[in-house]
Order: sequence, then structure tokens, then C-alpha cells
Amino acid sequence: MTPSLRAIPVALALVTLAALALTQDIDKPLTPASATPQPARVMVAPVPLLPVRAGRSARVEMAFRIAPGFHINSNQPNSDLLVPTVVKLNPPTNLSIAKLTYPTGQDLNFPFAPHEKLNVYTGDFSVGALVSAARTTPPGRYRVHGTLKYQACDNKACYPPSQVPVAFDVKIGKPAGTQRIRRNPAQSPHVHQ
Amino acid sequence: MNRNVVVIVVVILVVTGMLVAGKFLVRQPGPGVAALGNVKGQPAPDFELQDLDGRTVRLADLRGKAVLLNFWATWCPPCKVEIPWFIDLQKQYGAQGLQIVGVSMDDAGPDKVSKFAQQMGINYPVLMGNDKMADLYGGVQALPTTFYIGRDGKFVSRVYGLVSHGEVESNIRAALGQGRAMTASAGGK
Repeated sequence: MTPSLRAIPVALALVTLAALALTQDIDKPLTPASATPQPARVMVAPVPLLPVRAGRSARVEMAFRIAPGFHINSNQPNSDLLVPTVVKLNPPTNLSIAKLTYPTGQDLNFPFAPHEKLNVYTGDFSVGALVSAARTTPPGRYRVHGTLKYQACDNKACYPPSQVPVAFDVKIGKPAGTQRIRRNPAQSPHVHQ
Repeated sequence: MNRNVVVIVVVILVVTGMLVAGKFLVRQPGPGVAALGNVKGQPAPDFELQDLDGRTVRLADLRGKAVLLNFWATWCPPCKVEIPWFIDLQKQYGAQGLQIVGVSMDDAGPDKVSKFAQQMGINYPVLMGNDKMADLYGGVQALPTTFYIGRDGKFVSRVYGLVSHGEVESNIRAALGQGRAMTASAGGK
């Protein structure tokens, strides 16, 4: 093999590297306009750690803040056409969620519908839920994930239904009524003879 | 040794040149509307959607008419305000060449939209929109969003959100070639 032929594999390797570097950019899909991140219209406040004893229940409150100038439909909007605000939670095994409680919305008029009252949330609101732990739940820390689904509008336009992630931690303690195992009282060591 | 270097450099330059040329020739933007900026004078992208009866409707079929293309949804209260206006304006300007077209961005199927359209007495075609259509028209991130398209198939104006009846009519007249579009509203582009 002549020296010039031996150089071909090296050249090809370099070309391949250059091509890979370029094609990474070429193949990057054009971002569709609809995929442009939308500004957050609802913010989620951190939820404090929720202590629950195994076999018992406790209420959690998830707090939200709606950006100024926006409103979202309540959980019970005045029309079937409107998208209600809904929290969905996915508890881990041994935990269960029940009795989701939503605040009552405000019946408000808006410039776009002066003769129609819409039941909405504005500003801050919170959603409660009852978290129950099975008696067999091993003590420890568990994370509950979920989403808040909402549909926001301002005074002139509405925005497609959206959702924000919700999460909180549950600390499971020992089952209620569990008697502590009494340790033997401290004894002075002695030597068996 | 010098010969080897020359071979390598030549091959790299040729292939790199081809890739760079390809990058700039292939990655031309599609026919869609820019998400931001003035659309006036740009050709409206053609589309093909189904109406509530399953018939295919293309923008190209409406060439020669002034088109008011209204993106809306049943869950959008401001959109409901405009619909009775559009019904009246279609009656008023239809003979002069206006064609109003609604594009529903509802995720629900056409049955729900059809029921709503019947209740509202909509007298113009309503098409079932999708993300592809929304992307083609710049994203459509707020409803209502209305495009006014002239008889030549070019945009006259784009309006976000609810505006006054007078502004809608003014834009219709501009699309018909009877006046100038109103761009005074905050939502107008």
C-alpha cells in the first residue's frame, strides 16, 4: 500500500468526525412554534412534609398561585364546556388518596362575557386531600406525585389546557397503638464466674 | 508525507463543503407562519382539514375570496362572544366574497363541536384543527386567534384575543379590499 493510500483511512475518520459534528446540528428538528415553552400561569408552592402513622390518615394542603391578570376555571365551572381545575395524585403502594377538596370558586363577570358569570379561581388557592397509610406500611419517607390540570384565561384570550406537576413527601411513622418494646433497664456489667 | 497531508486536507475540505452547503440549502424554514412578527403580505399557508361532516376543506379552494380564519375552542368564553358576530358578518359580507372559516382546537371529537356549532347557529364551515395546523400558523397559543386573508391568498392581518366588533369588521373590509386593516388593538399584528 502506498503512503497516499494508507492516508485514506485516516482522512475518512477525520471526515466522519467532521460530518458527525455537522449533522448533529442538521438533524436537530426545527422546534415547532407550539412547542415553545409557555409562561407559567399557575405556580405550585412547596408542600411541607406530611407525617402519617401507619394505619392512619392525615390531610395535606397543596397551595397554588395564579399569575396576576389570569384566572382559571374552578373545579365546578358553570358550564360543561369549560375545563375544570383538577388535581390528580398517584400515591405509591401502601398509600391512598381520598376526599380531594377544592375551594369554592368566585362567580365573576369578565369583559369578554359581561352577561355570564364564570366560576373561577384567581390569586391563591389550595386543594386538600386525605392521605391514608395502610397499617402494614413500613416506616419511612414516601413521595406522592401528581398534576394540577387547569385552563387559564385573561381578559381577552384563553390558553390551551395545561398542567403543572405536584409532589409532596409523606413520612410514615410506626402504627398507632404499637407498644414500645421495653428495653431491659441498664445494668451494671457483671462478670459470670 | 506531504502528499498524504494534501489528500487528507482535500477530502476534508470537499466533504465539509458539501455538508455546510447542505446545511444551508436543506434547512430552509417551512411554509408556516413565524410565531412572532408581522405576517402582513406573507402568503397564507395552504392546509387541508376536515369539516364537521368529514369533508375535506383546503385553503386553496377558497382562492379569490377574502377569508377570515378563526381559531377557537368550545372551552374558550371570549371565542363565544365573537361567533354571533361572525354569523352576522358572514351574512352581511358573504355576497361580496367573504368566507369565514372556524378552526376548532378542541381535543374532544367533532361530535361535541358539532353540537356546539348547531346550538350557536354557526353558518360557516368549522374545521377540526390539530397541532400541525396550529404550527403551520405560528403556534396559535392563545384563543381566539384570527387571521384575515386577502383574495390573493396573502395575510392582511392577524389578531390575538377578543377585539371589538368594529375592529373585526374593519379587518374584514380590508381583506375584501375595501379599506385598511385596523391594527390599533393590542392583539393586532
